[in-house]
Amino acid sequence: MKIVERLTKIDRRIIYLVLAIVVLIPLISRSPERVRVMPPVEKLYNAVDTIPKDKVLIIDFGYAPQDMPELEPMGFALLRHAFEKRIKVLALCLYVQPLGLAQKALTEVTEEFNSVAQSNTDSIIYGRDYVFLGWQPPPLIPMLGMGISITNVYPADYYGNKTDTLSLMKDVKNYNDVALLVSLSAGSIPRHWVAYAQNRFGVAVAAGVTAVSAADFYQYYQTGQFTGLMTGMKGAAEYEELVETRLNIKKSRKASEALPSLTYGHLVMIAFIIIGNIGYFVQRKRRQK
Amino acid sequence: MKRTFPLFLVFIFGILGIIPFIIPHPIVQNLDESIRNDILKILVAFALVLGLGSLLRVHMDKIKRKRQNWQYSWILIISFLVSSIIGLFGGVAGAGPLPTFIGSFHFDIQTLYENIFMPLGATMFALLAFFMASASYRAFRARSYEATLLLITAFIVMLGIIPLGYKISPHLPSFAQWIMTVPNVAGQRGILLGIALGMIATSLKIILGIERSWLGGGE
Repeated sequence: MKIVERLTKIDRRIIYLVLAIVVLIPLISRSPERVRVMPPVEKLYNAVDTIPKDKVLIIDFGYAPQDMPELEPMGFALLRHAFEKRIKVLALCLYVQPLGLAQKALTEVTEEFNSVAQSNTDSIIYGRDYVFLGWQPPPLIPMLGMGISITNVYPADYYGNKTDTLSLMKDVKNYNDVALLVSLSAGSIPRHWVAYAQNRFGVAVAAGVTAVSAADFYQYYQTGQFTGLMTGMKGAAEYEELVETRLNIKKSRKASEALPSLTYGHLVMIAFIIIGNIGYFVQRKRRQK
Repeated sequence: MKRTFPLFLVFIFGILGIIPFIIPHPIVQNLDESIRNDILKILVAFALVLGLGSLLRVHMDKIKRKRQNWQYSWILIISFLVSSIIGLFGGVAGAGPLPTFIGSFHFDIQTLYENIFMPLGATMFALLAFFMASASYRAFRARSYEATLLLITAFIVMLGIIPLGYKISPHLPSFAQWIMTVPNVAGQRGILLGIALGMIATSLKIILGIERSWLGGGE
């Protein structure tokens, strides 16, 4: 077989092997890569940073295990930012699959803070600093219902506690007490938050989405309907960068650590596309002759 | 009656769904709240039970008739029963009446989630990267002007979203961002407006009883 023909017919197992190697090696070395923060992420960071003491941040954990590498670091970074600034957090899920991941993020970040806390005031306490509202199907019920009363939509939290008995919920009635809602989702949910919660009740919405779905959401950012936007692993790494540099929180940075894998993975894909095209053009020229 | 009553219900609840967005009067808002919080929640609970019942019935039938890959249906049924029992009686993190640990070995719902559901879900999606790499190598050809434009744009965006893009040129990430926020948004907005208008038209047809295919059993 001639070289040109080989270029257009590389065995898929070779592609798989090369990709596996370039993705795996940086993951073993685990050195976080620094990134330049882009305006959509910086705007989100600033919006979270300026949340007043009497308002809360709602985080909609909308990612399942398949979206975890891109969206989980966003959840961790947001929680670290909020807890560091003592911003009250309401966590919720619109689907059942993300429940375990939301629980994992809340538990791990709370543990990070409590392991170094000196007193009760320094600690992150459930019911006082954050509440996990759990899952209430279908998504339309919490999206619209929280505009009237959050405790009516969620009479009990994820752990079965009555929400109206939790100290945080005593001051949080509805969207009027919410400064920002961040939807971390691999699907179309962020745009539904805009359509229902923002259009009808005026709540500020921001989103963290996967890179593959990012193109669908920029129009909401451009119009200002999204206060900020994190896209893909790079968006998560940018937020991690801001949390580390501005708040001096030095914790594991999963997205930044995985960025070299993403970089080499992209380069390999670009290289294979170029190789395929070289073979295609040479073959086409020969046929024309 | 079998067709008229559902059409009547759709008309009434369709209109009731639209009105609260237009009329902010407390009576309308409270009625809307009551429909969502009381009626819709009950309907969803029924749908959930019906869905689970239907799922189990399909798989029981598959086992009974020994259809292709019927063995996997046992896995589904056993997994369903085990996770339901643990979830219902063991509580979220093992705080329920059912003990969900033997010594240091925990099997509460969160442990099952983190050790079974998460790795399985992540593995399924991780395989996609390999298929995408192989498919883009085979299919991404600069066959025409449009395809070449798409290819170049894809390269710029791909390089722009990785840190290497900034090292190649400090303007590359900003240029990739511009592609996403200007040409991409122009196209996306057009598509979205078209979809929204289509959805409004279809919804009105359903509410007004012009579109009746959802009733089923038609010619």
